[in-house]
Amino acid sequence: MVDTLFIGLSLGSILLLVALGLTITYGAMGVINMAHGEMVMIGAYTTVLSGIYLGANLLVAMPIAFVISAGLGWAIEKVLVRRLYGRLIDTLLATWGVALVLQQAVRLEFGLSFLGIHVEGLGPGLQNVDVPDFLRGTITILGTEVNGYRAFIILVTVVMTAVTWLIMNRTPIGMQVRAVMRNRSMAAACGIDVARVNALTFAYGSGLAGIAGVMMSGFKTVFPDMGAPMVVDGFMVVVVGGVGSLLGAVAASGLLGEINGLVAAVTNDILARAVVFGTVIVVIVLMPRGLFSFKGR
Amino acid sequence: MLKLSGVDSYYDRSHVLHDFSLEVPDHGILAVLGRNGVGKTTAMKTIMGLTDRATGSITLDDVDLSQATTHERARAGIGYVPQGREIFPDFSIRENILMGCFARPDGVRRIPDLVPHLFPYLQDNLDRPGGVLSGGQQQQLAIARALATDPKVLLLDEPCEGIQPSIVEEIENIILEINKKHGIAVVLVEQNVEFARRACDRFVIVEKGHVAASGTPEDLTREVVHTYLSV
Repeated sequence: MVDTLFIGLSLGSILLLVALGLTITYGAMGVINMAHGEMVMIGAYTTVLSGIYLGANLLVAMPIAFVISAGLGWAIEKVLVRRLYGRLIDTLLATWGVALVLQQAVRLEFGLSFLGIHVEGLGPGLQNVDVPDFLRGTITILGTEVNGYRAFIILVTVVMTAVTWLIMNRTPIGMQVRAVMRNRSMAAACGIDVARVNALTFAYGSGLAGIAGVMMSGFKTVFPDMGAPMVVDGFMVVVVGGVGSLLGAVAASGLLGEINGLVAAVTNDILARAVVFGTVIVVIVLMPRGLFSFKGR
Repeated sequence: MLKLSGVDSYYDRSHVLHDFSLEVPDHGILAVLGRNGVGKTTAMKTIMGLTDRATGSITLDDVDLSQATTHERARAGIGYVPQGREIFPDFSIRENILMGCFARPDGVRRIPDLVPHLFPYLQDNLDRPGGVLSGGQQQQLAIARALATDPKVLLLDEPCEGIQPSIVEEIENIILEINKKHGIAVVLVEQNVEFARRACDRFVIVEKGHVAASGTPEDLTREVVHTYLSV
């Protein structure tokens, strides 16, 4: 039982890292970022490539992936998203386009061996990342043996969530983000550079997704479309938790991750997925603003 | 001081201000009067750069701000107290006041010296959330936040609207003190002609999105009030 809960928790952890970025960007900027899942994919590929070129393990890849995906997120905001503020549906379409371009770019570069494009050490499109030895075994928690790598995922998520919480609630830049989420024009009238806050927020959220990608690469195959389902799951966490709420994202990802893990353990993955969707529908019907929300949308 | 000349302002495609001009006297109070819906609040928003589009010239101490973004205008020295106050309800009173400090060019982040003196209640309750305050206290909080921007000119959009009568006089005295003692210029959008006449150095009357009359308090005669302000 503890083992099952633990698997659910680790699934929820990845989900949370993806959703944190989404809830901040959607909450602060009113942008539906469909390319967020591709940041997960970029993070995973960063892990693969830094393993090949730098001989770096997963731990070293984490900061590299954060920087690369944050930089890419920053560029997407600067070039595209900032022209679309206040046009929610347009952001959805445009960022979906970005997602397709990124997927295809990665597929062309690393994924199609039959085009003769080939990176030394990479296979035909699907890659695996080796987990460092010290994370491979099992550790004992509450008298149960659990997978060390899953424990590591949870630990990283706890740390990143705590860091995010501290930034949001204990620093001037976090105060600016929270102010922009609540009242954009009043925040600007108080001297906050909303465009700069938006770019930083977008970059940070993308960076978190990159870290999620690093951790996913340890237990899932790395391939160009791997991020697409993540953005759907991420948005489910956001709407269940309440837009812009860190606490909501934590609660919702824990809830959905555990439901997924528990139902999958008893029955199968397909049914688990159905139950997760069912839960999301019930929550939205009963609480349209999500579990925790400071504003009505 | 703050000067608007020939300003046109728009929300989407609706043209709200037409050839709008006003000038705030140095260290003085300019009252902006007019019936409901004539464009007074839009004029304040235009000064802050919060309408969709505006043309014409807006200068503060001869620095052109007409192309500046909202936060640049705040940093240039325009403090804004909007209609409806727009404080952040779930931020503490301290955080609400410190919000204004983002507009300070020197980056100092502390409660302004004026606050303990002008708003003792706020000073004593810095850790309570802003949302629990009464309307009058929220108005004080919005003014304190605008003072934290270290402004040269303060835009006050109907500061006494929706506030219980016993507090109105208190707010009026605070406005006068900010202006007379501390030399901060004030643009006062006001429905109460008596207070406007008592407080202002000059006034403008807005009608249909442009300035229909202006002058000193003595010019605010019964006939002028009857023509432009009585409902």
